[in-house]
Amino acid sequence: MGPRTSIARAAGGLTSWGLRRVLHRSASQLPGRVALALDPRITAELAGKLREGSIVVCGTNGKTTTTNVLANSLEAAGKTVLCNRAGANMAAGIAAAMLPGSGADWAVMEADELSTIHVLPALRPRYLILLNLFRDQLDRAGEIEHVQDTIVEALAASPETCLVACGDDPLSMGVAVRAAEAGTRVLSFGIDEDLRLPADRVPEARFCQVCGAELDYAYRQYAQLGAFSCPNGDFSRPVLDWRATGVRVGRDGVSFDVGGAGIDAPQRLSAGFGGAYMVYNLLAAFVGAHLAGVGAASFQRALDGYSPENGRLQHFRVGGREVVLNLAKNPTGFNQNISLMEADERPKAAFFVINDDYNDGKDISWIWDVDFERLAADRGLTIVAGGHRANDVQVRLKYAGITSDIASSVGEALGRLGSVDSSRPLYVLTNYSALWPAKAELERMGERL
Amino acid sequence: MSALTLKVAHLYPELLNLYGDSGNILVLNKRMGWRNIQPQVEEVHVDDTPSFADVDIAFVGGGSDREQRIVCERLLREKAELRSFVEDGGVLLAVCGGYQLLGSSYTMGDETVEGLGLVDLYTDRGTPRLIGNVAVESRISPQPIVGYENHGGRTHLGPGVEPLGKVVFGHGNDGESGEEGCLYKNVVGTYVHGPLLPKNPGVADYVISRALERKYGEANLMRLEDHVELEANRVMYRRLIDGEERE
Ligand SMILES: [Zn+2]
Repeated sequence: MGPRTSIARAAGGLTSWGLRRVLHRSASQLPGRVALALDPRITAELAGKLREGSIVVCGTNGKTTTTNVLANSLEAAGKTVLCNRAGANMAAGIAAAMLPGSGADWAVMEADELSTIHVLPALRPRYLILLNLFRDQLDRAGEIEHVQDTIVEALAASPETCLVACGDDPLSMGVAVRAAEAGTRVLSFGIDEDLRLPADRVPEARFCQVCGAELDYAYRQYAQLGAFSCPNGDFSRPVLDWRATGVRVGRDGVSFDVGGAGIDAPQRLSAGFGGAYMVYNLLAAFVGAHLAGVGAASFQRALDGYSPENGRLQHFRVGGREVVLNLAKNPTGFNQNISLMEADERPKAAFFVINDDYNDGKDISWIWDVDFERLAADRGLTIVAGGHRANDVQVRLKYAGITSDIASSVGEALGRLGSVDSSRPLYVLTNYSALWPAKAELERMGERL
Repeated sequence: MSALTLKVAHLYPELLNLYGDSGNILVLNKRMGWRNIQPQVEEVHVDDTPSFADVDIAFVGGGSDREQRIVCERLLREKAELRSFVEDGGVLLAVCGGYQLLGSSYTMGDETVEGLGLVDLYTDRGTPRLIGNVAVESRISPQPIVGYENHGGRTHLGPGVEPLGKVVFGHGNDGESGEEGCLYKNVVGTYVHGPLLPKNPGVADYVISRALERKYGEANLMRLEDHVELEANRVMYRRLIDGEERE
C-alpha cells in the first residue's frame, strides 16, 4: 500500500468513526468520498489486498437482496467478506465498504448500473452479475441503451471480469452479446420452465437487440423475461449455464431446483420470502456463491438465516393487523408486488406511497405503466395513496377504476382502515425515499414478524 | 340520440412509450366513456399500413432515438395521408419525440433527419438536456398545463405558428423563447411528455371537443366530476410557483 493510500484510508476510517460516534449517522457514503478525494485509486489498491477476489452485482431490480444473500452465503462457508450491505452503490459507497481493507477473502459489492464504469476498472472483479435491466428513474439514468452502453464499456475496461447475466432477459443478453464480441467471457442463468404467472402488461423491451424485430416467446414469465428468440434467428435466449426448475412460488416464499455447470445433481433451495422475481435473485446469488466455491448446503444455511432488511418485503404486526412493507420503485417492481398481492387470497388493503425526491427520479410518469387495473377487479380491496405525489397516485387509481383516499403516513393510512377488519393485511408499497420513513414508523408502532 | 363514436389511432405504442404515454389513451378512453361517447381505440403497429380516412384523433408519443427513427421512417411513407388528415382538421396530439416528428426536420446525434413537415417548425439540438417539471399557461386549458419535460431538442416555431402556451415554470420549446409546444389547426404538439392528459383534463377535453366538432358539427361536453384531477394539477402548480421546486 502506498503512503497516499494509507493516508486516504486513515482519513476515510476517521471520517467513518466520526460520523458514527459524533453524528450517529450512517457511515456509508461520506468516508468513501473523503478517501476517494485523497486517493482516487483507493478502491483499486484495496481490491489488490483481497485474498480471493470480488464479485459485483448490478441490475435494475433486486441488487440489494442478491448482494446480501451472496455475501451471507460466503460468510456461511467461513469466508470473510466486505460488502456494501446498506446499498450505497456508487463509487464512493463502494470505496467506503472497501475501507476495512486487508484481511478479507472476498468483496461482494452492489453497483449502480451507471457506476459500473468507475467500479469495474477499480475493483477488477472476477464476476459481474447482471440481474436484469428495466426502465427505471429515467431522468437520471437516461435511456436504457445508454445503460447498456455503459456496462459494455465497463466490461471492456476490466477484461478479466466474467459476465454472469440473466439469460431470460433480452436487455441483459443484449449487453452480453456485445461484451462477448469484445472478448468478455459470458455465463448465463435463467428459469427453464414456464411459471404460468398471471399475464402482465406486454413490455416495451421485447425487441431483438440485433435487428429490432419483435421477439417471439415460447413463454414469458413477466416483463420482458422469458424464453425469447428473434424471428430472424440472430438473437435468442442462450443455452443456460445454470437453470432453475421445479419452481414453486407461494405466499410463504419460494423454492426451486438448481442445476448446471459444476453441479452433479440438481439442488433444492428454498426461502421463506419473495415472489417469482426472488427466484431470479436467489438463483443469481447461488450462481455467484457456486463460482466462489460455496456449496449448496452453505448457501441454504445462509438463506435460512436471512431475513430481508431495509424494508424489502418485511412483515410487521401493528395493533393486530399484519403489515407487509416492500420497495416498488419502477413499473416492473410494482407489477411484481401486485402479483404478490394477488397471490395472497385474503381480503386486503394497500397503501401506495410515491415520492419524487432526487433519489426516486423526479419524473413519476412511470406510474402510468403499472398495471393497477389488475387490482380493480378485487372488490374487497381498500387502497390509500401517499407520498409527495399522492395526488398523482390518486388520479392514476381513478383511471384504473379504483377510488382511494390520501394519507400522509402509514399511521394515518392505518387510521383510514378503521372499520376494515383487522384480519385484512395492509400492503405498504413505497418507492425509494419513502421506504425508510415507512419502516421507521412501522418499527415504532408495531413489531417485526 | 344515437351514440357518438370517436376513433382514436394510437400510433406505434410498442415503440413510442418512453414515459407512460399510454396514460393519455387511457384518459381519452375513460373521459369519452363517462360521457357516453364510444371510443374506438386502434393501435397502429409498425407493420400496418394505416389509413387516416376515418380517424378522429391520432396520438403519437415519445421514444428513444432508435425507436423514434424507426417510427419516422415508417411515417414518412404516410406523409401525404397525414398531411391531408391534418389539413382537414383531423385532431393530432403529439408529445415529446412525437412532437419533434411534426416539423420539417430534427436532429439525431450529429445528423439532421427529415420530419413529417405537418407544422412549420424544426428542431435542432442543444446542451444541456432540458429536464424537469414544467407549467404552461395555454388558451386551450382552463388550468395551467403541468407535467414533466426531458428533451435535448430545441424546437423553433415558424412565423405565424402559435405556441401551445407560455412557460410559467420550466424550459419549453428551446429554453429561451418562453414558449411551449405548438397549436396548428387541430394539431397539439408539446414537450410535456408521457401522461400529459391525466392531470390536465382541460387538454383532454379540448382534444375530444375538437374531434366531435369536426365529426358532428358540435361538441357539448358534459361536465365531469374532476376533483381528483384538478387537485393533482393544483398541488403540482402550487409547488412549482411557490418555489418549492428547483432545477
Ligand atoms: Zn433479430
